[in-house]
Amino acid sequence: MLIYDIRHLTHTYPGQTTPANDDVSLQIAQGEIFGLLGDNGAGKSTLVKQMVNLLAPTVGEIVFMARPFPPSDPTAISMNVGYMPQDGLAFNSLTVAETLYFTAHLRGLSRRDACRERERLLEMWQLGPLRGRIPGKLSGGQRRLLQIAATMAGQPPVLILDEPTNHLDPQRRQQVWQALRQLNRDNGTTIIFITHDAIEAEKIIQRVGIMSAGRLVALGKPSDLKRQVDNQLRLELFFPPQSPPPLPANLRCHELDAGRWLVYLRKEEATAVLHTLDLTQLDDFRLHSATLEDLYMHYVNGGEHD
Amino acid sequence: MIERKRPSPLTQLLDLILIQLSNYRWSWRRMVITGMVAPVISLLALGLFAREADPAALTYVLTGSVVLSLMFENMGKVSGNFAFMKAMGTLEYFATLPVQRYMVVLATLIAFFLMSLPATLVTILAGRFLLGITLSPHPLVMVVVLMTAVPLAALGALIGSAARTPEDAGSTITLLIFLLTGLGPVVIPPNRLPALMVQIGRLSPATYAASALRQTLIGPVTGQLAWDLLFLSLLTLLLGWATSRKMTWRSA
Repeated sequence: MLIYDIRHLTHTYPGQTTPANDDVSLQIAQGEIFGLLGDNGAGKSTLVKQMVNLLAPTVGEIVFMARPFPPSDPTAISMNVGYMPQDGLAFNSLTVAETLYFTAHLRGLSRRDACRERERLLEMWQLGPLRGRIPGKLSGGQRRLLQIAATMAGQPPVLILDEPTNHLDPQRRQQVWQALRQLNRDNGTTIIFITHDAIEAEKIIQRVGIMSAGRLVALGKPSDLKRQVDNQLRLELFFPPQSPPPLPANLRCHELDAGRWLVYLRKEEATAVLHTLDLTQLDDFRLHSATLEDLYMHYVNGGEHD
Repeated sequence: MIERKRPSPLTQLLDLILIQLSNYRWSWRRMVITGMVAPVISLLALGLFAREADPAALTYVLTGSVVLSLMFENMGKVSGNFAFMKAMGTLEYFATLPVQRYMVVLATLIAFFLMSLPATLVTILAGRFLLGITLSPHPLVMVVVLMTAVPLAALGALIGSAARTPEDAGSTITLLIFLLTGLGPVVIPPNRLPALMVQIGRLSPATYAASALRQTLIGPVTGQLAWDLLFLSLLTLLLGWATSRKMTWRSA
């Protein structure tokens, strides 16, 4: 069954001439894990806000679970979709435990089940010691975990998460991806998320959409899309910032950080390039095949690194 | 899978009231300052003046101070809460839950009304003892307090929903409280106000609220009470409707 059937969706904010979304069409099936990648301002958040009925499309339509938008019963979406916005302070003056209880209860659980759900989520996200704290007193990472827990409260069949791993340390990010994968496997939950964390997300993503300047520029399984950059290798170089290594003139490098370059190579030139490098000048280097992040860079930058 | 069913309107309302009551965590400090201290100072200052000049004006000072307390506690705080919810994404959070928007407005008005009661009571009792006024509460007094607080809170909700930032909402409310208190016979009797201000006061909810409070707290109750309550009820409906239209919410 299709959860979302999005047809030629366009949204232009009042007072703007350029649409935030421009003719976006895509389908998301039940039980899918769908990732939405794109640079800042690409229109990803606008798209998901339309998917949860917080914004009306200027043009186009959305069909949700075979029902057209806006549905005659607006709770059709709110009963079935858990939405996590980017902002982490939405819970007013509620404590962590109250946030989870009320969210679960308002999503239709009985009082007893809502209490059980609260305890389950507190334990799952190790928020127990913070149960009496209000979100304003939490760190950015703790607030993000609370947001994720609240989105899951009541176990809606569809989750939409806007950058779920922002502000999280690597261990917590890993925990989030594992939890989402497990939820999808055990309950068949459809998971749709926006992320900039393409390398981490690749571990669970089944299908990806890449947005640039409001348009959906690529859509498909990562493995299928990667064929387009199949001949490409990614070479990362780490070196003391004051002494960058010399590179062959025909190579273009992207400075990721001070003392860290990223170079895209064709497979056939990799051996020769590695031979020209003086490894004693490098702190470290990594050579691997294209990742989802490279795919994202390929589409967002119009393949400039090819 | 857990069994889930759509929350009934009563469940929505009760949960939302409880959620909004959690605002006491920040609002109690302001309640002490603006809901109790400011009206009691107004009682003392204006009471001293009125006692010398016109003892009959003491009833205006008392009921005007109660209206002032209700304005700070309901209009001011509801406005601040809506502006905060809009800025912080709380309204979006509510919009993605199966709750109706008018329930959010209603629950907010009820919760802040309940939280305003201690300050109202303190102001009435302070007036009773500081000004030496004999109170003879009418059975309708609680209805009048409710009907005074709700339109003021609805006005606050509209301002908070329309404001660009919580700071904008705060300055608008401060200005409005001064205007509503000063323009019309709220704290000062009409015979001591210029005729123009008395006429302008006919458009102000504070005038009708103060009039209804005077009749039901001190007496006597006259036919004017029905007009006061009618005006306040119509204003509540109008402002409640306007707020739920203005509130940032889902597009449907």
